[in-house]
Amino acid sequence: MGEQPIDDWFMREVLPLEPMLTRFLQRNWRNEAEISDLRQEAYARVYEAALRERPQMVKPFLFQITRNLMIDRLRRQSVVSLESVADFDWMNVSDDRPSSEAYVSARQELRLLQIALDSLPPRCRQVVVMRKVEGLSQKDVAKAMGITVETVENQVAKGMRLLAQALDGRRAQVTGQARRYDFFKRSRDVR
Amino acid sequence: MSAEQDEAAAAEWLVREDRGLTVEEQGELEAWLSQSSLNRVAYLRLKAVWQRADRLAALKSPLPARPRGHIWNLPAAAAIAAALILVAGTGWFFFQQRLPAGRDYATGIGERQAVRLADGTQIELNTNTRLHAEVTKMRRIVTLETGEAYFDVVHDAERPFTVNAGNRRITDLGTKFSVFRKDDDVRVVVKEGRVRVEQIGQPLASPLVAQEGREVISKGSETLLTSKPDHEISNDLSWRRGVLVFNQQTLAEVAEQFNRYNRRHIEVAGSARDIRIGGSFKADNVDVFVTLLHRGFGLSVDQQGDRILVSH
Repeated sequence: MGEQPIDDWFMREVLPLEPMLTRFLQRNWRNEAEISDLRQEAYARVYEAALRERPQMVKPFLFQITRNLMIDRLRRQSVVSLESVADFDWMNVSDDRPSSEAYVSARQELRLLQIALDSLPPRCRQVVVMRKVEGLSQKDVAKAMGITVETVENQVAKGMRLLAQALDGRRAQVTGQARRYDFFKRSRDVR
Repeated sequence: MSAEQDEAAAAEWLVREDRGLTVEEQGELEAWLSQSSLNRVAYLRLKAVWQRADRLAALKSPLPARPRGHIWNLPAAAAIAAALILVAGTGWFFFQQRLPAGRDYATGIGERQAVRLADGTQIELNTNTRLHAEVTKMRRIVTLETGEAYFDVVHDAERPFTVNAGNRRITDLGTKFSVFRKDDDVRVVVKEGRVRVEQIGQPLASPLVAQEGREVISKGSETLLTSKPDHEISNDLSWRRGVLVFNQQTLAEVAEQFNRYNRRHIEVAGSARDIRIGGSFKADNVDVFVTLLHRGFGLSVDQQGDRILVSH
C-alpha cells in the first residue's frame, strides 16, 4: 500500500481536528444537512494535497481548504450571500497551537467514548460492548447473543457510524434545535 | 455520491476487515480506496473511530473510584499487615473482618460515571452523586448518599441486591431501575422488572412492590406510587445520554434540573418562572438553552459570573 504513510498521517494529524472543524462548519454554514458532505470533501482535498506534499501546519491548512470549499460552493449557488462569506469567523483558527480539544487526556477520551457508546440504540450498544469491551470476535458475539453473523455485521457497521457521529463534536443539531424552537413557540402559545 | 453513501460503503468494508479479508477481498478494497479520495477519507475516518473504540476495553474492570482518603491509609494498612504477619493465622481472619468491604464512587457536577461491580451489575452515576457499593458472598448493598444512579442488576436469588437511600430500602426483584435522592426526597423509577420499596426501621409498615413503568416518590414517611407511560420513563432516564427532556414543565423546574448539571446556575425571576417548557437539551449546554429562552420568549438573560439571571 503506497499510501500507508499518508493514511497514518491523516488519521493522526487531521482527524483529531474533526470536532473543531465540524463546529466551524456549523457556525458558518446555514444548511446543516450539507455539513457532512462539506467535511468529507475538505478531507479529500487535504488528502490529495498531502499526496503531493505534506503541509507543515495541518490546522491552518485544513481550515483554509475548508473556507475555499465553502466559498466555491457559495459561488455556485444562484444566490450569493455576501453576508455568509463575511460571517466566517476567520480569527478563531488562524494559529497552529494544538487545540486543547484535539488532544484529550486518556481519561477524557474514555469518557467521550463512553458517552458515545451510551448514545447507541440498545442492541447496537450490546454488540459494540461485546466486540470492544469484552473483546469477542464478531463470530463469538453472534454465538453469545444467539443471532446471525450478518446481524452482528450490520450492528457493527451501524455502531461505528453512530460512534463517529457522536464523536464528531457537533453541537445540538439544527434539526433538533428547530424542533425545540417549535416546542418553545408552542408552549408559549399554550400559555 | 454523498458522504452518507460513502460512509455506508466504508463501514461495510471495515466490518469485513474486522472479520478478516480474503486475498481477493483485499484487492477489491484496494481498488475501492483508489477509486476516489472521498472513499478513502470516509474509510480512514471510520477506521480511526473504530480503533479509538478499542479503549473501551478499559471498562471491562470496574473504574477506579475517586480516592476519598479517609477510609484506610496505606502506611497504617502496611503497619497492621506487618503486625499480622507476625501473628499470622487467626490474625489474618480478623484483619479481613476489619477491612472496609466495598468502595466509594462519586461524580462531580456535570459528570457521569459507569461502574461495573464484581457481580456484573452495572451502575451509572448521574451528576453530583455519591454512593458506596459493597458486594460480598452474602449480600450486595449500595448506599446512595446523594444524587442519582441507574442500576442494571444481575439477579441473584441467593444474594439480594438492595439500595439504601435515606430512610428507604429498595430491593431488586430482577430489574433495571434508577434511584434519586436529595436529603429525604427519594424517587425510584422502574424501567424493567420489579423492586420492593420499604421504609427502613419500620418493619410493621407493609412494603410496596413497584412494577415496570412505575415511579415511587417518597418523602419522610409518605409514599406515592404512580404509573408512567414508556416515553416518560425514558425521559426520566435521558440523563444517561447526557440529555434532559422536558414536557411542559415550568421554567423554574427546568432551571432546577439544569442547575444539577452545571456550576453556572440559572435563576429565574418573577412570572417567567411559570412559563411552560418542552423539548430536549444537552444537560451541559446552558448557553444554548438560555439563548433559546431569549429568542423564543424574548426573556432577558443577564450573565453575572456563575449566575445567569433570566426574567421578563
